Amino acid sequence: MTLRVLVVEDDREIRALMQSSLSVEGFEVQTAVSLSEASALLRHSPPDVIVLDLGLPDGDGVQLVREVRSRHSLPIIVVSARHQEAQKIQLLDAGADDYLTKPFSVGELLARIRVALRHRGTALAAAVTVHELDDLRIDLAAHSVLRSGEVLHLTPTEFKLLARLVRSAGRVVTHRQLLLDVWGPEFTEHTHYLRLYMAQLRAKIERDPAEPRHLLTETGVGYRLAAV
Amino acid sequence: MNSPALSASKRQPARGWVIVALLLTAATACSFLLDRYVSLTSQAMIYVLAVVIASYKLDWIESAVCAVAAVTALNFFFVPPRWTFEVENQEHFIALGTMLVLALVISHLAKGVRRETELAHLNERRARQLQALATDLSNVNSPADIEALGHKALDAAFAGPCSLALTQDGRELDFAADLDAAVRDGMRCCMREAAVLGPGTGRWPGLLAWYLPLGERGHVTGAACVRPALAADEAGREHAQALCALLAQALWRLRVTASMLAAQSEAQRQQLQSTFLAAISHDLRTPLAAIVGAASSLQTQRDKRGEPEQDRLLGSIVSEASYLSTVTENTLQLVQLTGAAQALKRDWESMEEIVGAVLARVRQRDAQRRIKSNVPEHLPLVKADPVLLAQLISNLLDNALQYSDGAIDLSVSVEAQELLVSVKDRGPGIPEAEQKVIFEAYTRGDQSGQRGAGLGLALCRAIALAHGGRLTLRPRRGGGSNFVLALPLDAQQPGQELNQELP
Repeated sequence: MTLRVLVVEDDREIRALMQSSLSVEGFEVQTAVSLSEASALLRHSPPDVIVLDLGLPDGDGVQLVREVRSRHSLPIIVVSARHQEAQKIQLLDAGADDYLTKPFSVGELLARIRVALRHRGTALAAAVTVHELDDLRIDLAAHSVLRSGEVLHLTPTEFKLLARLVRSAGRVVTHRQLLLDVWGPEFTEHTHYLRLYMAQLRAKIERDPAEPRHLLTETGVGYRLAAV
Repeated sequence: MNSPALSASKRQPARGWVIVALLLTAATACSFLLDRYVSLTSQAMIYVLAVVIASYKLDWIESAVCAVAAVTALNFFFVPPRWTFEVENQEHFIALGTMLVLALVISHLAKGVRRETELAHLNERRARQLQALATDLSNVNSPADIEALGHKALDAAFAGPCSLALTQDGRELDFAADLDAAVRDGMRCCMREAAVLGPGTGRWPGLLAWYLPLGERGHVTGAACVRPALAADEAGREHAQALCALLAQALWRLRVTASMLAAQSEAQRQQLQSTFLAAISHDLRTPLAAIVGAASSLQTQRDKRGEPEQDRLLGSIVSEASYLSTVTENTLQLVQLTGAAQALKRDWESMEEIVGAVLARVRQRDAQRRIKSNVPEHLPLVKADPVLLAQLISNLLDNALQYSDGAIDLSVSVEAQELLVSVKDRGPGIPEAEQKVIFEAYTRGDQSGQRGAGLGLALCRAIALAHGGRLTLRPRRGGGSNFVLALPLDAQQPGQELNQELP
């Protein structure tokens, strides 16, 4: 079965580049130049993944993300320029799955799409409960975290935080989402909680906490648990 | 200026009469004591002495009354027949008359002397006040301070109530809220006429106060209202004018300085902008030339070039393009940071995380792992814009990778309420002459035509400054450079409430 990608991008060159690069990889590519065209296409035949550029002529995309989220679980990857930080975070909080910063390489784009699609599959099936990468093994059901077979002792909050990242392994989770899911709605501005607990988690999980392999920082946006 | 009011002093009338009574009582007592030993002439002299003292010290009415009373007392107590007001000898009439005239003459002379002494004192105090005000005004940097000093000076010099108002931006007067409408009118009028109004000035003599403009026609910067105003008090009016002239001068000095500075900074800004643009276009043109060269070569000579050669050209296109994107990013950020005040998106950030994220990115260009990082655990958090700090550190590392060959040390430490991030390399170092200018937007360490992140260091410093920190360059012993970022740490660290779960 061919997977379908909807590319929403107003710049002709980049749109053409994405279309050809994705077609070569065997995707069926639909393109839209505006949000209105994208939502028309979505109503007609929903794709398997959306690549959504920020700064489209007819809006900021939040509406589209909400619309998609209300009906589909299909992944959305936001493409943004460096100066669109705030807007990008807004979209991630609204339910977009991941982001790419311009300029990006085709390799990065394909990697993000692969991660997003893997999650879509698992989201429909059973939720992720086991995460394994290198010598790290996290089993959410068994409440166990092992490094090289050795049991790591986490506090309840540390475990909750790690579990939230495991459920979105490979994808970015914004500060706001983490604070909301781990501490609750009244703590969404307490980013320093994250700084302190992530430091603790890294100290326990990482071999070199200063250059983490697993708990990656997306500067100014959130965190990502490495999946590859 | 805490001297008492500099206006003419007033004596209480009751005190004069008390002095008269005391002097006469003393003279009479003295005369009685000496009654047995001295003649009537000497007793008269004692009374004359009392009258002289009274005339010197008191007004003419008091002196005259004192003289009459002295003569009467002398007559009553000592002139035979004693204890009567009768005068036995014609001679005594002359003595009495002389004493009265003497009292009046002395009183008149003394009053003149006194007035002149007082005037001299007053003038001296006023001169001293002007001098002090001039000194105070020379250290003042804002119109508000001048206004405050002016108020103080007027209140010290005149009984008041005095008021003062300055123009806002050279136009309308900025009045105190509780100022009388009549006073406002007077001030506006004297500003319009650029002349002093009020008693003795020939303009609006019916007014109860003097209205003085600050400055001359065309450059009036405010107005003052001074009370009490007497037509005859020319010295007082002149003093008020002198005070106002000093204030006007100080205001004018401020205004001229400000406009000079503005002109200077505008010229500097334009100069900076053009050199900045020249530097940018240079920085953009070089990688663009490389990209166009490689791409066009692939387009026209693909068949003639072997596969490794094609790969090299493609690699060059990708790396030049990513360099171009770094330059663009730096330029944009620098323009935003140095231009209109852009609010930083500051939050509590961990330097460990920022360094980790930067390393993850920079390692792609550091295959031999030349960067050695040393980041201790449990660093305090900093209130910062993480994206900007990441860009700063990443620029420093990129520079070190590009300009040096050996190991690069990245270390973070805490020293004296500051978080220090240092990037050390063993490159050729930066010549001393250039060390000061490498942080300027339009210079670059090498003038040889070799490229570098021309704006990178300027941006780094701008980011450090925007966070209230510093970025400094220290030459290393044995060659190489050491860039040190110092960020101020908040004494109040967040998250104290989490202590029970955190070690």
